[in-house]
Amino acid sequence: MTLAYQAISWNRQKRVYDTVMAGGVLTFLAVFVVTGLVLHSEITAEALLIRALGTGAFLLLNVVLSIGPLCRVDPRFLPMLYNRRHMGVATFLLGAAHGGFALVQFHALGDVNPLVSVLTGNTDVQRLSEFPFEWFGLFALVLLFLMAATSHDFWLANLTAPVWKALHMGVYLAYAALVLHVVLGVLQAETSPWLVGVLGLGMAWILGLHVFTGWREWCGDREHAGATADGFVEVCAVADIPENRARVVTLGGERVAVFRYDGKVSALSSVCRHQNGPLGEGCVVDGFVTCPWHGYQYLPETGASPPPFTESVPTFAVKIVMGQVWVHPRPNAPGTRVEPAKIG
Amino acid sequence: MSAPFYIGYNAKMPPATAAFLRRWVVALFVAGAGVAVALAGLQHRYGDGQFEFGIVKSFDGIISESPYPNLIVRRPIGTDAKDVRSRVLLVAPGKHGAQELVRGLEGRAVTLQGSLITRDNQSMIEVRPGTIAVQAAAVAGDDGVPLGNFTLRGEIVDSKCYFGVMKPGNLKPHKACAIRCISGGCPPVLVVRDADGMAVYFVLAGSDGGAVSSDVLDKIAEPLEITGEVERQDNVLVLKAEPGTYRRLE
Repeated sequence: MTLAYQAISWNRQKRVYDTVMAGGVLTFLAVFVVTGLVLHSEITAEALLIRALGTGAFLLLNVVLSIGPLCRVDPRFLPMLYNRRHMGVATFLLGAAHGGFALVQFHALGDVNPLVSVLTGNTDVQRLSEFPFEWFGLFALVLLFLMAATSHDFWLANLTAPVWKALHMGVYLAYAALVLHVVLGVLQAETSPWLVGVLGLGMAWILGLHVFTGWREWCGDREHAGATADGFVEVCAVADIPENRARVVTLGGERVAVFRYDGKVSALSSVCRHQNGPLGEGCVVDGFVTCPWHGYQYLPETGASPPPFTESVPTFAVKIVMGQVWVHPRPNAPGTRVEPAKIG
Repeated sequence: MSAPFYIGYNAKMPPATAAFLRRWVVALFVAGAGVAVALAGLQHRYGDGQFEFGIVKSFDGIISESPYPNLIVRRPIGTDAKDVRSRVLLVAPGKHGAQELVRGLEGRAVTLQGSLITRDNQSMIEVRPGTIAVQAAAVAGDDGVPLGNFTLRGEIVDSKCYFGVMKPGNLKPHKACAIRCISGGCPPVLVVRDADGMAVYFVLAGSDGGAVSSDVLDKIAEPLEITGEVERQDNVLVLKAEPGTYRRLE
């Protein structure tokens, strides 16, 4: 967490992350180009580069889209999520390089402006096989640019979380557009079934991973059906909650994280104010509930971030009866202090 | 047992998490390299044309402007054969034909400089602007030899890219570029393949023998059937038909 905005708050982990990512991208490009030159001596450098960059961008987007659900499956993937925006920006840069080279190669030095040529060169929209695949690529590139340009927390704060989140869900639209870009473009000429197979495998991986983790989320989001008394709902035994961790239950349609720490139990919203991260999968560190995604922190008793930070989440009344934790499903205003229930 | 808790702004990640990720990163690198080899290897329809980019040579011949600018030379480019007329299509740099460069030079003997583009038995010169020097007065050109009416199936390409400037220079990925090139005046050519896959090239002209560039822009890079009169102009085959009669093959 930082108070002042910086383009990138560099630390050792970020440097390692970016170095590994850049190494992976350069390795991919180098292997692609060398393989192309060895197996197809007739190819030109610019054509090979255009295909290598485009393929690299699409593959990296597959990785970007895998990170979120993988973290739901195994939290040890979380370091990949913490700096995911760096990977998103790298995806855009690869795509922009692909698009830029293609623009020069296929549309420059003609009788109209290259950008006009992209939009008006092939306008056969009547037949799917002849549809201008470049439009899908351009559309995806614009979306990737918007997401890369607004990936910083500055934009999250100023666009507001709902707008920012909706904008960044556009990554799925960009992915779909790029699938169409590939299917209606290069796959109309390169007809190897293996190429179709690789694309299909990637799509099946992304779709399968999202469906699987979505199904698990959906199962977890079912309304908790514990006993009720005085408006409180019995959620679990104290012993069911690991020390400094939480048990997440759905009450009144909201995910509530019930944390056990320091001989006490507190309940607060499980949705982090930063990027809607799963606060209930976080940990109490130095007395603060800490989000597993980007480390945003909240006091368990108040749901408020420590000064000078201003984020806060709703809290819930909680009590312990006979070793069982009871939570009132009505949320208090974000930052409202609630006396924690003492264990024993 | 829950996994060690990771916080991104700490100096180091938990060792167990680091060990876990190291294995996955290695796997990702190997998988990425494998995908790169597979995808680069499986894409192969690039074409074997040659463009002598940056190599400028001098050529002598007689200019013919119709249906598209070409240079009539006394031997096929690149061979030692004598006393054989050969036509070499001319284009300008970029996605442009050479119409402006040779305007008014019909039948004139010239020397010009340019870079050679070749594929199969086809030759083309990208003319360097400002290098055409007229050597002699106009002479009467030879008429073409009619070979009869034929129905041909193939794909319209822009000859400049297909003969060697672009890899690939045909099919859907190159469609927009071909539209741009033909719109700019590069000769449209119908590529017809025989049963053995050998390509035969037909320069497209209207029924009056004139250029058809702007009339074929919506018919490029897709399977077509064209019925028309084929005329041999030295080594070049010209297919004369009105673009409105071209038939799309589904």
